[in-house]
Amino acid sequence: MFGWNHDATVPRMSFRTKIFLSITATVVFAVWIVAGVVSTTVTKSFERREAQRTANLVSQFRREFDRRGGDVVRRIEAIANSDAVLRIGVNLGTPQADTAQFNSEAQTLAREQSLDFLELVGPDGGIISSAEWPARFGYKEDWLTQPVDWKTQGIFLRREELADGAVLGLITVRTVKAGDGQLYIAGGQRLDKEFLDSLPATEGLRLQLYSNFDPQPSTAAATLIQELRSQPRELTRSTSDATITAIPLFGRDHELLAILLIENSRAQLASLKAYIQGTALIVGFAGILLGLALSFWTASRVTRPLRQLASSVREVSSGKWETRASVASTDEVGQLAQDFNRMTEQLVEQRDRMIQAERVAAWRELARRLAHELKNPLFPLQLTIENLQRARQVSPEQFDEVFRESTSTLLAELDHLKTIVGRFSDFAKMPAPQVEPVNLNQIVDDVVKLFEAQINAPGRPRVETILHLAEHLALVSADPDQIRRALRNLVLNALDAMPHGGVLTIRTQNLDGKVTLEVSDSGEGLTPEECERLFTPYYTTKQHGTGLGLAIVQSVVSDHKGTISVQSEPGKGTTFRIELKA
Amino acid sequence: MKRPCWALLALSSFLICPLTSATRPRYGGTLTVDLTSTWIVFSEIEALTPLIVETLVRINERGDPEPNLAVAWQHDADRKRWRFSLKPKVTFHDGEPLNATAAAPALLAALKKRYGDVRVTAGGQTVVIQSERAMPDLLSELARPATAVFRQTEKLPLVGTGPFRVTNWEPGRRLTLSAFDDYWNGHAFLDSVIVNLGSSRTSADVFDIPFSPARRILPERTRVWSSAARELIALQTAGIDPQLARALALSIDRGPMVNVLTQRKGEAAFGLLPQWLSGYAFLFTATPDVAHARQMLSQLRLSPLTLSYPPNDSFARSVADRVALNARDAGMNLQPTPSLNGNIRLVRWKLESRDAANELTRFFAMLGLPERPDSLYDAERAVLEEGRLIPLLYLPAVYGIGPRVHGWDAAQKHDPFVLHLENVWVEP
Repeated sequence: MFGWNHDATVPRMSFRTKIFLSITATVVFAVWIVAGVVSTTVTKSFERREAQRTANLVSQFRREFDRRGGDVVRRIEAIANSDAVLRIGVNLGTPQADTAQFNSEAQTLAREQSLDFLELVGPDGGIISSAEWPARFGYKEDWLTQPVDWKTQGIFLRREELADGAVLGLITVRTVKAGDGQLYIAGGQRLDKEFLDSLPATEGLRLQLYSNFDPQPSTAAATLIQELRSQPRELTRSTSDATITAIPLFGRDHELLAILLIENSRAQLASLKAYIQGTALIVGFAGILLGLALSFWTASRVTRPLRQLASSVREVSSGKWETRASVASTDEVGQLAQDFNRMTEQLVEQRDRMIQAERVAAWRELARRLAHELKNPLFPLQLTIENLQRARQVSPEQFDEVFRESTSTLLAELDHLKTIVGRFSDFAKMPAPQVEPVNLNQIVDDVVKLFEAQINAPGRPRVETILHLAEHLALVSADPDQIRRALRNLVLNALDAMPHGGVLTIRTQNLDGKVTLEVSDSGEGLTPEECERLFTPYYTTKQHGTGLGLAIVQSVVSDHKGTISVQSEPGKGTTFRIELKA
Repeated sequence: MKRPCWALLALSSFLICPLTSATRPRYGGTLTVDLTSTWIVFSEIEALTPLIVETLVRINERGDPEPNLAVAWQHDADRKRWRFSLKPKVTFHDGEPLNATAAAPALLAALKKRYGDVRVTAGGQTVVIQSERAMPDLLSELARPATAVFRQTEKLPLVGTGPFRVTNWEPGRRLTLSAFDDYWNGHAFLDSVIVNLGSSRTSADVFDIPFSPARRILPERTRVWSSAARELIALQTAGIDPQLARALALSIDRGPMVNVLTQRKGEAAFGLLPQWLSGYAFLFTATPDVAHARQMLSQLRLSPLTLSYPPNDSFARSVADRVALNARDAGMNLQPTPSLNGNIRLVRWKLESRDAANELTRFFAMLGLPERPDSLYDAERAVLEEGRLIPLLYLPAVYGIGPRVHGWDAAQKHDPFVLHLENVWVEP
């Protein structure tokens, strides 16, 4: 359907493939561009929305922080003004001050005011009563006794130590006069998950509060927290799963106490992107299918007539000269088909004319050859007969002797004529080969033995015969008589080419599933022009040849589906090479 | 005398009259006592049983045995055979006279628990107690309320010879006592005593005040009375490294516990027996040394330990929390937990008698130690040095005494185990 047409080593892409690839590439590229633009736009829009949602949540957190803080301040002030605290203050102002009796007071007051933390601390900083850690009575809270005007202090974040660890608290402090000193009321509420849960929930948005004194979390935010610890400022980092904004929360002395982590889930964006990618993939795939369909349709519209035209060309080239391309349209392709048909018709006409001309030429050549061949014996016949007539008229007494000599001459020439006619007859009636497995080495041996006597005849210039025969030569399917005849002609031709002696080399070998037979001489060689015409019937370079020898060889080789070629250079001898399928 | 002087004398007489009438004992009236405990078994009300039943011997303020139902006693050289002569003309609440035959069954049952193969034989007013082994502490044993002489009838769970007799018993709720008119030592001031169990109303004449982290508001004029120390709070550290136990002991500051958690009613404990019982407890005093404790702990491999305290005991929890806090200062991680089997256990040990040797023997039994032949001090010091126990606090029994109640302090006779109500009287 689609693919590359291999001609030798150069790949060629079919027209249909080109159309398919063009359409597919266009659609896919367009889809990729559109998907990319849409994805980028969506991402930017999502990030804008993320930033807006984060800002809103931070604002809500701050509002809730202030609201809770105000609430805590009011509660602590209510405690500071309570009778219980005033009583403690009065007690502390007496010389017999006994704070032990107030040990459980903070728990009661904290419970009444719904506070998570409450400590009543004496003027010396010693804890009188602690709601969050009752066992800490007597321990010092020196930070409270520092010179601070607590009445002007609002709410602040503070790390609160508890028996089971530290927690984060929204704390405020108020004081009550206790004799010459102050009774400190420090309390507040936890800043924890419950606080975060009180904020309005937003889908896809998650709030986390990381206390700076907690162990390093092993979450995705760990790096962000580490970074923020070294440089306390608002930071935002994005991962494939979420965008995390970290906001530092400081204590009263600007120490980093906690980090508010706002995690914007990117699941929705990822889902949207996946949808876009999925859609793009579907559209791209649809584009490929469209390209496939369009390429088929276009091929059927464009390449079918071309393929038909190409088929017609192939048929014409194979010899079916009557083939015509169908003309189904009037466009360029139709015009091309018409031109092709016209060209084919002209070629047929020219071919016919050439055949006619060649036939005439062949007859002329045949006539010339026949005339040439027959003229030689006919001339002695004419002279002999005229000699007989003259002998009868001039010297009848010698007529008998002349008659005997003349009739023997006539018979010899007639034999010669017969031979000539026989050769032409042989060429004319070349039989179909009777194939059988044949060992060419055997045939070479036979032919060389046949020519041994001629080669070694006394007085003949020395011709050295060299045989290079492959040991395990493959058998070929061939008619042994015809192959033997062809080889005889080649050997004879080689001997004729070496009138002054030389080297005759016969070589057989296996080559790529074929068997080659080479016959080389060391004669004068041939010119390229001679090589081209060498196998033409009745062409000969010899004085007495009929020009049929090599034509017969070529005919035999051709009948065996083999090939014959010649390599020759003037002065370097000639090599005939026959290739037959093994 | 000038007129103003007469006026002053009249005024002073007017002021003094109510005062003198208030200080003079008065017969009659009912005393209400609220106790937080909810006893169901009558015999467990040890603080009140001496009002109903009496022992042959009692321990005086100096810790020496003195006659009670027994007027005299002799023993052989080995102290294996004891002979007691019972007080004559003593009757049980049901009118039965006290004689050796009536006293023997209760004595035998109680003494068998202590001495095993003991035999009690009765003859007239003479009770002979003998055993195969020596009973050097028999007098102390006989002074315990558990070894009192009593009888049980179908109608009453406990019939004794004490100043009060049981008139009503509702297990777990109420006990009503009436003064025993034929009491050998004279009629009590009170006509009756109503004991409400599982209740601690501050409106009662007498109510117990358990140690609790929560501050209790008392009505005006109600005063607080506490007995001598009768309970020890300690850390049992048998399961941990002795070096760790010593570091823990050094880290604990008992002063704030005494001042705040016990509201100064308790005492810092450094020995097993309180000073009033042993007489040598002051020798064990020590001061906290957190720095030294931290240094000792730095040489040990520390892992978190649990400090268990009795479940549902808020006071024990407060003490455990404080101990954990002190330990934390020294670098030790103790996790208080309400259970009975932590790495370290906070235990509350109630004393039962005024016999130091007897109490120490019980301590050794509780710790799984054999009795020591040493002197009490040496034995106690050896146990403390082994690091098996870290004493923390001695606690007394604390009661709220209403303004109607008089003669309370004098009546208690420095006995931390018993509420002596026979000499208490109330205003109408």
